[in-house]
Amino acid sequence: MTHISLQGVTKYFEGGDIVANDSIDLEVEDGEFLVLLGPSGCGKTTALRLVAGLEHPSEGDIHFDDERVTDHSPSDRNVAMVFQNYALYPHMTVRENIEYPLKIRDVPPEERDERIEETTELLHIEDLLDKKPAELSGGQRQRTSLARAIVRKPAVFLLDEPLSNLDAKLRMEMRTELKRLQDELDVTTIYVTHNQEEAMSMGDRIAVMNQGTVRQVAEPEELYNRPRTTWVAQFIGSPPMNLIGGTKRNGTVELAEGTSVPVDASSDSGSDTDSAPVSLGVRPEDFSVHGDSTDADRAITGTVETVEPLGEFTIVNVDVDGTSVKAKVPTTGVERGDRVHLTFENHDAYLYDERGELLP
Amino acid sequence: MSIQETLDANVDADVDWEKARAILVFLLPGLTLFGVFSVGPMAYSVVGSFFAWDAFEMGAFVGLQNWSETLTDPLIINWDNLLAFTFPMGALPQNLLWMVLHVPLSTVLGLVLALLFADLRGKRILRSLVFLGFTTPTVVIGLVLLFVYDPQAGVFNELLRVVGMEGQVRNWLQEPQIAIYCLVAGGVWVQTGFSMLLYSSALAGIDPSLLESARIDGAGPFRRFKDIIWPLVKPVTAVVVIMGMIWVLRIFAIVYAAGGPSGGPNHVYSVLGLEVFRAAFSIPVEYGKAMVVALIELMFALPLAAYIARMD
Repeated sequence: MTHISLQGVTKYFEGGDIVANDSIDLEVEDGEFLVLLGPSGCGKTTALRLVAGLEHPSEGDIHFDDERVTDHSPSDRNVAMVFQNYALYPHMTVRENIEYPLKIRDVPPEERDERIEETTELLHIEDLLDKKPAELSGGQRQRTSLARAIVRKPAVFLLDEPLSNLDAKLRMEMRTELKRLQDELDVTTIYVTHNQEEAMSMGDRIAVMNQGTVRQVAEPEELYNRPRTTWVAQFIGSPPMNLIGGTKRNGTVELAEGTSVPVDASSDSGSDTDSAPVSLGVRPEDFSVHGDSTDADRAITGTVETVEPLGEFTIVNVDVDGTSVKAKVPTTGVERGDRVHLTFENHDAYLYDERGELLP
Repeated sequence: MSIQETLDANVDADVDWEKARAILVFLLPGLTLFGVFSVGPMAYSVVGSFFAWDAFEMGAFVGLQNWSETLTDPLIINWDNLLAFTFPMGALPQNLLWMVLHVPLSTVLGLVLALLFADLRGKRILRSLVFLGFTTPTVVIGLVLLFVYDPQAGVFNELLRVVGMEGQVRNWLQEPQIAIYCLVAGGVWVQTGFSMLLYSSALAGIDPSLLESARIDGAGPFRRFKDIIWPLVKPVTAVVVIMGMIWVLRIFAIVYAAGGPSGGPNHVYSVLGLEVFRAAFSIPVEYGKAMVVALIELMFALPLAAYIARMD
């Protein structure tokens, strides 16, 4: 059980030309499953490697519990890491691969055998022990690499996009399995992925990263329900949140072409009379599409551009004064060229200021 | 499949003559060259080694006479000196000694340099510098060694003077008991470039995440080398070692350039290649002996070449 703390951790490469991580502050609680989520190149893998000790921070400190581990080597940190390509030693059998970290740490042979048996049972790979990695399928390699990480009973698990090389079906299976394992073992885990579905389904909390910084750390539900910036709002959700530019004035948002939408932001205070440019954010799944005129308070009018039926739901792309707005509805009778009204509830609307920050 | 079944299958098999002819046509150019320049001379030497020769004219059949004369020739094997381990020991023992020293040294040095350069900035330049030795014609290497070990102008002796070992200054290639080691050092320098290059590419082929994984597993630099790097570059080691052995067996130009046709003073660093050359092309011409020495060389080289050819 380990609490991990990153304080102002910055990592430069190439003598400062590339800033991979910029002043990251992050706390990972004991036994927590934290997901680092972000697009490729956002610095999430670098952050993980900094925690592992494979990179040394240019600035800032890393603590495991109360101990400063910034200068500790990877082996002194007692972390286990699962790599994207599994990094199984090709010349060793599955057994030797799993045994290797124990052998290095001089665990007596009897105990090694015991722990290998325990771990391989847990991951259902008992019958693969004498095979070489080249003879294994992707899923089996994945399990072997997990076994090698688990067998050591490390203080921290670090997983770097461990499911990205698996096919869709196996990925779903392993997702459940990984979550089960982490619950059972109760080891602090940092999991790096660019797949928001993985992040939402597995993480106790998610740290959303972009351009080397952490944009928001929150539980999955909160991240979805209260994205703090337009960037996060557009990153989480599929399809992403619609953002429509407008001006906020007197408790309403005036969109282009005279449409205005009332937003009762309860905390609106003195600044009420001032007008300010804002973005109105509504998730596609929060829109209802009406062909006839509607007497709802909050409606946006536009013309249907395309309709994409995807089976379990349909995506309607609506042109609202030049902005393409997506609505995700169970079924719809509208067609291309129809004039439609998109309605939504007050609590489904988000307002972001000019800088992209969520307005209270 | 039983032997009988195999036989039946082969006897009954329809031979596609058209295909066989096509294969033959395509093989012909290669086989011709191989026959004329490899198999032909080998067979000719084997046969010729049992005949007397008058210069390049084949004479009467003499049985094993060429062989026994050659193997008792002190220039090929000097048994007395060999047992006392003093030079000259004859071309065959000297050639083998060269191999025993040269191969491990150039292999280990190549690996060490490859490991050293692997993570360095400017590794390409360093690699090129080391590899330059291998690309230099061996005759030039021999001449360079002459200069290096020269008592007046030589870098090596100058170095000795600089570090205050003036008493050791000498013409190293004229010292009977040391000269061969000085030449071996030059050969090692040449071959190290080759083995370094092979090891470098083998090291580059190792997935860096394997080494990172080993670091996280707790392996220090030595364990990482022993458990991960070494097993993964082992196939290259076989190639490096065998190519090194073949290179030393065929060595000629370095020795000739540094010591002339006699292979140094009193033949102290003569090698098999040099003896073949001397027997065949200097007066008196001993063509039979040249064939025997060449065949001895071949007997060592052939199994090595076969091993390399059969490697995956």
